[in-house]
Amino acid sequence: MDDDVLTTLKILIIGESGVGKSSLLLRFTDDTFDPELAATIGVDFKVKTIAVDGNRAKLAIWDTAGQERFRTLTPSYYRGAQGVILVYDVTKRDSFSKLENWLNELETYCTRNDLVKMLVGNKIDKDNREVDRNEGLKFARKHSMLFIEASAKTRDGVQCAFEELVEKILQTPGLWESSLQGQGVQLSDQQQSGQGACGGYCSLL
Amino acid sequence: MMAADSDPESEVFEITDFTTASEWERFISRVEEVLNDWKLIGRAVAKPPEKGEYTTGTWEEKTKEINFADFKFSITHHYLKQETVESEGKEEPEEDALPLAMQDLLCMNNDFPPRAHCLVRWYGVHEFVVISPGTNCEAIISESKCNLLLSSVSISLANTGCQVPVFVQIQQKWRRMYAGECQGPGVRTDFEMVHLRKVPSQYNHLSGLLDVFKSKIGCPLTPLPPVNVAIRFTYVLQDWQQYSWPQQPPDFDALLAGEVGGVEFGKLPFGACEDPISELHLATTWPHLTEGIVVDNDVYSDLDPLQAPQWSVRVRKADNPQCLLGDFLMEFFKLCGRKESTEDILGRNSVEEDGKENSDITHALSKLTEPAAVPIPKLSVTNMVHSARKRIRRHRRVDESPLSNDVLNSILLYLFPDAAVDKPSDNNESKAQQSNPDGKTEQEKDPEDYNLYNQLKSAPSDSLTYRLALCICMVNFYHGGMRAVAHLWQEFVLEMRYRWENNYLIYGLAGGPPDLRCCLLHQKLQMLNCCIERKRARDDGRKSATAEGVRERKVSGCENGRLGPESAGSTATAGGMEVSPGKSWDSWSDSEDEFFECLSDTDELKEAPAEGERSGAKEASKAKPEGRLQPHGKLTLLNSDQPLYIPVTQEPAPMTEDLLEEQSEVLAKLGTSAEGAHLRARMQSACLLSDMESFKAANPGCSLEDFVRWYSPRDYVEEEVTDESGQTVVRGDLSARMKIPGNMWVEAWETAKATPARRQRRLFDDTKEAEKVLHYLAVQKPADLTRHLLPCIIHAAILKEKEEEAAEDIPSVRKAIQQISSLASKLLRHPNPDYKKLEEIINQIMVVEAVIARARSLKAKFGIGKGERGEDAEDLERFVSSLLEEPEVAVIGAGRGPAGSIIHKLFVSAQRLADSTDEAALLAPLEEEAGRGGGGTEDRKPAGGGGVPDFPPPAGREILLRTCVPRPAPYSKALPQRLFCVLMREEFRLAGAFSSDTSFF
Ligand SMILES: Nc1nc2c(ncn2[C@@H]2O[C@H](COP(=O)(O)OP(=O)(O)O)[C@@H](O)[C@H]2O)c(=O)[nH]1
Ligand SMILES: [Mg+2]
Repeated sequence: MDDDVLTTLKILIIGESGVGKSSLLLRFTDDTFDPELAATIGVDFKVKTIAVDGNRAKLAIWDTAGQERFRTLTPSYYRGAQGVILVYDVTKRDSFSKLENWLNELETYCTRNDLVKMLVGNKIDKDNREVDRNEGLKFARKHSMLFIEASAKTRDGVQCAFEELVEKILQTPGLWESSLQGQGVQLSDQQQSGQGACGGYCSLL
Repeated sequence: MMAADSDPESEVFEITDFTTASEWERFISRVEEVLNDWKLIGRAVAKPPEKGEYTTGTWEEKTKEINFADFKFSITHHYLKQETVESEGKEEPEEDALPLAMQDLLCMNNDFPPRAHCLVRWYGVHEFVVISPGTNCEAIISESKCNLLLSSVSISLANTGCQVPVFVQIQQKWRRMYAGECQGPGVRTDFEMVHLRKVPSQYNHLSGLLDVFKSKIGCPLTPLPPVNVAIRFTYVLQDWQQYSWPQQPPDFDALLAGEVGGVEFGKLPFGACEDPISELHLATTWPHLTEGIVVDNDVYSDLDPLQAPQWSVRVRKADNPQCLLGDFLMEFFKLCGRKESTEDILGRNSVEEDGKENSDITHALSKLTEPAAVPIPKLSVTNMVHSARKRIRRHRRVDESPLSNDVLNSILLYLFPDAAVDKPSDNNESKAQQSNPDGKTEQEKDPEDYNLYNQLKSAPSDSLTYRLALCICMVNFYHGGMRAVAHLWQEFVLEMRYRWENNYLIYGLAGGPPDLRCCLLHQKLQMLNCCIERKRARDDGRKSATAEGVRERKVSGCENGRLGPESAGSTATAGGMEVSPGKSWDSWSDSEDEFFECLSDTDELKEAPAEGERSGAKEASKAKPEGRLQPHGKLTLLNSDQPLYIPVTQEPAPMTEDLLEEQSEVLAKLGTSAEGAHLRARMQSACLLSDMESFKAANPGCSLEDFVRWYSPRDYVEEEVTDESGQTVVRGDLSARMKIPGNMWVEAWETAKATPARRQRRLFDDTKEAEKVLHYLAVQKPADLTRHLLPCIIHAAILKEKEEEAAEDIPSVRKAIQQISSLASKLLRHPNPDYKKLEEIINQIMVVEAVIARARSLKAKFGIGKGERGEDAEDLERFVSSLLEEPEVAVIGAGRGPAGSIIHKLFVSAQRLADSTDEAALLAPLEEEAGRGGGGTEDRKPAGGGGVPDFPPPAGREILLRTCVPRPAPYSKALPQRLFCVLMREEFRLAGAFSSDTSFF
């Protein structure tokens, strides 16, 4: 089973506490919604293997607690993540206003420059919406992120969010494939190469 | 297959039998096959090459191997890549248009291309095929073999209708002898060549060569149409004596003997040790003369280089000039591959024994210092070094020590400038924070450069780690290679242990938890500093009698220290009231019974509430509050009017990236089952519990709701409700998830005792962590160390080159450095960098260094940077910088322009120096005499005069003769004829292309 897994991807879920990070993850991995889900302590971890475009990818997903007090240690888990899901609650404006802070932190601590970021506006099943879809879109565009609105409760958008993210990660040529070939530094005129037999190019002398 | 383009019918029905074909026939058919494969059959449509296109365009080549019997040949197609003109309406070429190569013979757009295949230079062709003996095959020397080859070519061309000229290389390769043929409808060009060791005197001038050309054409017409002439003389300047290369390798021993802590330690060397420009070639060109306009014969010549209408210059660069920075880097890099351990190098027992003795010493020291309330006078590094050296000496003889005392002391003082102060110093805390001795922080100078460590995963340029890298690199290069590296590292590790055991912070590291953006070694050192910080706080706390006054000690306000700029460390200790923002999740230090901030036992008895009081919140309400940090805004407790206090909490456990890796592995291994998740939460709840205890201690009588309002405000839901009296009141309640019975938050709250942080069990075991770091450091082999520090060295080299480039302003170098940085960034941020590719990075850095050194050399030679000169200076600078970037540069104004007159002067000076018999000339002030202004001809020495000529004899003369005349008969078509003559001291070459009309023969 494991041998045809293409690659393991590390994905991180961040955002203010209570926006529904753990619920989104539970919906994705177990396709359930548990209103009795306990508040996360520290970090939690789940695994799921999915197939995208015929490629199988094993996702190691780290769910974080969003509390201010836990926050200083979350950056440790940013290390090496290939994808990040940044969640806000569409019924809580302040969870949207804090997004910028989260991105700053991400910028500072993530160790790769090809990280794929996705913005998720959660809890769209609720009717006391405070953040318009367009605001989310605008924010995502401004920060080059993927964007989707979702509901962990009704499962709207959840599967799609994770799949899109993975697809995007797989499309992004990873650092590990980086190669010096073809991008070597070209400095002016490197000394005439071939000599003598004129296999190369020469001037008069 | 021989008649590949004959009508298909015949192929289908006729069986062609090649079983009896000769080797020769087979060879011909192979050549044809290749020409076919490359689609060289038939006439290509192309525009004649533009002016200069041979230089600006790209040349490509394809090669195949073919055999003649068992003799290997390679056949190569060379061509200038041109845009296909297909789009411009498929105009069929005129039936009898000449093959392109024949048109090339007369085209004047690309004479004397700066860099091209010699056949391009000689014949002007932009597309051709060469057949030459394969590598390791003997040359084709015998005339019969040459003829056999040529006739094969001839037959192949005729069979296929290929109009691209095909050459065969004959004679030894170095002679660059080719013969070839080009065929078109009713026309043929033969390419022939003469190559001699000496120029026959009758051909040593234009008139003699014109004679050869004309007799070779054998044109029956009288009078002949005039021959078109282009001439280029090339002069070589080798003697740069007056600008002898100034750079010598620095004398490092002298440096070290100088004052202590020589600043030079922080600098990487730079530059070439020999002149990276070896020659200057001046080409003087008369591009367009007609026979009869100039006279050049055995007695007289009009061809005065100063008068030539075009001058162009190229420089010859020394092959791989020895450059200091590159050597440094490469030697350092080579260490990465070594296998030896420190013991292998320095002797078996030295490390182990030292450790033992060392601990004895510290033990003695701590006994001495413990009762004393006064600060201990700080040992200077020199003292430390001496004691360390004594220990090491016991295991190896003095003369075996790789680093001398002097060198070692200077290095240690450079690494640990805080120890230079011999007088007692009790505030080394602040000293350790300010990482830069010269007052101005590196960061202020250029934030972008400063933050390079972030991209390269190295360390800040003002950090200890970075300085260590520079020292290791230097010690490796100048003071004994790997042995010296092992020695210095051993000393460094001793110093680290010394600091840990004596509570001295390590100088030159930003405060706060390890910076994960830096290299692991840097993180380890930061970790050790955290441990020292904690230990010192604890020891201070023990000493200090005022218990309540003990505030939590911080390495820095984490919020600033972590996110903020590195070396802002000096400000970090300022605000003692900063909230400690994070929590440790590290709950696996339970073996230790030490408290976070341990008070002496007696203190604790006095201070601590009686055991019974700790148990429940109810009783605690009567208890005295402890460990308050500050009120939390205006909030009051729900059950009373008491303000809600944020407690002093335990610092988060600092983590290095390898620890984090380990920890996340442990957490991940618990799996995804419910029990696993529960265990995971439990493992991480130690800090939650600790915070709850601190909170309870600071807020007697508080409830979980109070705690949640501070800790996880979103889980305290406030609603406006209308009460019985009709008034709207805010009613708050725990969120649903916090109310789930038996959830871990409730569970933890119930077990939490009211205990201030300082009396709690330590979440972070600094003793254990420090020992782990010290052990880790001790077992690093020189190669490991080099790998740890390689990012810092690459970082330093890039900064060095940026700095050097800034002084020269070379755009291509700037771009190259940019590319090197981003490539290095990609490589170094990878968890397992590819060392092959990193070597490539170092090679690129070396190339950049050589280019900068060349620029310096040229600028010195052309007197740039000496001020004055005004508007000419700009032109001159442009000229010099293009010399570096382009193979050949035109001199504006030829001999009369500003650059031209300098070049002229250079030649005159060299000529005088060379003329050693003329001593007067040597003594004469050259500057004055040669310093002509606009190069007026009145200054010129009489051409045939007795004085020293301004120019040496040309190293090479190229004379290109062209015409278009009917051959072989007067009524034949007029066809291109060309002779390219090369006259050098030891070479005479005539490369002729003679076309004839074949229609009637
Ligand atoms: N209505 C609704 N409630 C949600 C949704 N997602 C989460 N919740 C609720 O929001 C609260 C916080 O969810 P949780 O997943 O623990 O948030 P986290 O702190 O970000 O992990 C819980 O009470 C969930 O039941 C959603 O999509 N719709
Ligand atoms: Mg959660």
